[in-house]
Amino acid sequence: MKRKAYGRDFGLTSRMFLTIFLLGALYVGFFALLLQSGASIGVMVVVLGAFAFIQYFTSDKIALASSGAKVVTPEQAPDLHAMVDRLCAMSDLPKPRVAVIPTDVPNAFATGRSPKRSVVAVTEGLWRRLDPPEIEGVIAHELAHIANRDVAVMTFASFFSNVASLLIWFGGGLGRNREGPPIWLIALVVYFVSYFLILALSRYREFAADRGAALVTGAPENLMSALQKIASDITRIPQRDLRQMEGLNAFFIIPTNVKRSAATLFMTHPPLEKRLARLADIAQEMGKPVNL
Amino acid sequence: MGLTDVLFGGRKRLKGAKLDKLFALSTAQVTLQAELGLKPAGVAAVVSKPLSAGEFARAEQEIDELLGVVAQTSGSEVRRRNDPYGYQWLVVRDRDFEDLVTGVHLVASELSNRGFGEQLLAALFAFEGREHPTYLIYGFKRGTFWPFVPTGEGQERDNPAELRLKTELEKELPIEPELERWLGLFDAPLD
Repeated sequence: MKRKAYGRDFGLTSRMFLTIFLLGALYVGFFALLLQSGASIGVMVVVLGAFAFIQYFTSDKIALASSGAKVVTPEQAPDLHAMVDRLCAMSDLPKPRVAVIPTDVPNAFATGRSPKRSVVAVTEGLWRRLDPPEIEGVIAHELAHIANRDVAVMTFASFFSNVASLLIWFGGGLGRNREGPPIWLIALVVYFVSYFLILALSRYREFAADRGAALVTGAPENLMSALQKIASDITRIPQRDLRQMEGLNAFFIIPTNVKRSAATLFMTHPPLEKRLARLADIAQEMGKPVNL
Repeated sequence: MGLTDVLFGGRKRLKGAKLDKLFALSTAQVTLQAELGLKPAGVAAVVSKPLSAGEFARAEQEIDELLGVVAQTSGSEVRRRNDPYGYQWLVVRDRDFEDLVTGVHLVASELSNRGFGEQLLAALFAFEGREHPTYLIYGFKRGTFWPFVPTGEGQERDNPAELRLKTELEKELPIEPELERWLGLFDAPLD
């Protein structure tokens, strides 16, 4: 075994495989139905294949552009670079590019199809609001995503659900199968089911990355306190004055409580309590129990 | 609300301002003082938005009249203040907390009755006895309270203290659940 640094968790691995298996089974059923209906889907699959290809090969550029992240040199951000260098050395990874996102909300992401071509980005808010050991935990989590090749896994997993969503759009032009439900309905069902499976897969990848970060830093408690700070209510309290905000009425129209009532089924990340509980378990395994 | 019925009889209130939840504060007073060590500072205010030029002349007279009514009906002292944002503050003073809450409610109701309900922004109640002066803000639009603890340094707030107050007061007061709406009122002209 070449890389052991990020550890293994058999329950997690088996659930990940089950999710992928269910996704695959769904697609097989979907294509069987499509073939039966005699629809010509070849062109669309080729188009989607091209999309997935582009997504796979440009994921880093897309993510950087859409988040407004700027790649920084070691001269521009020496402390951040030193931290990434140290963590890469510990986890036997080639050093990714390092980027900073100019927002106050503490957050981070990693992207790129292979460890060599990846980028790790942190927000200014993360750098300002968290302590160095906590930032280290967050970056280790992002590096674990890179080590686990999560961009490749998720691109692959979402390819077929993209096929299904495209079929919903063009479903009308495909004609109907002689018996049974129309194509667009099948596509819709496939899309929704695969959507939830992808989200489930994404949540498992998050647990895996948390585990990786805990093992590499040897300090799950740092990631735990970082997660708590990032999710903390404090970042939700505005810093403006009520009288300043009265002009911006749109601010009050968005029903933010809708966001919060969404169940965990809809989330790409597992709930905070579950992530903390698993990290506490890992801490226990490592012989340094943490109080939750 | 029994009390409002007694005070204002059958008079119609305009839509757009929720006033009745204000009285929850009278009930919460015991908890505030005995358990949280928050002593009422004896001062509160009703903040309303600036009026258009056309409304202004009418408002001047109406508000003078209003202050007269309030002075007669309650023993509270009411003054008019303005702030740099151009907002109007009707500052109510009363050493008895229950009377203070009633005074604020009366001012807000009178403004509402005279057609300024849309202008009502918030009520602010001041407390002392902690490290920083502590305020409870009541938003008339949604009828909810939220804590506001400015540290006195620029627009800085003691967020942890505010969140503690949230959990401590949630059972007694309708606390605004969406923290994104906990906007502050810095440099209140309460003196």
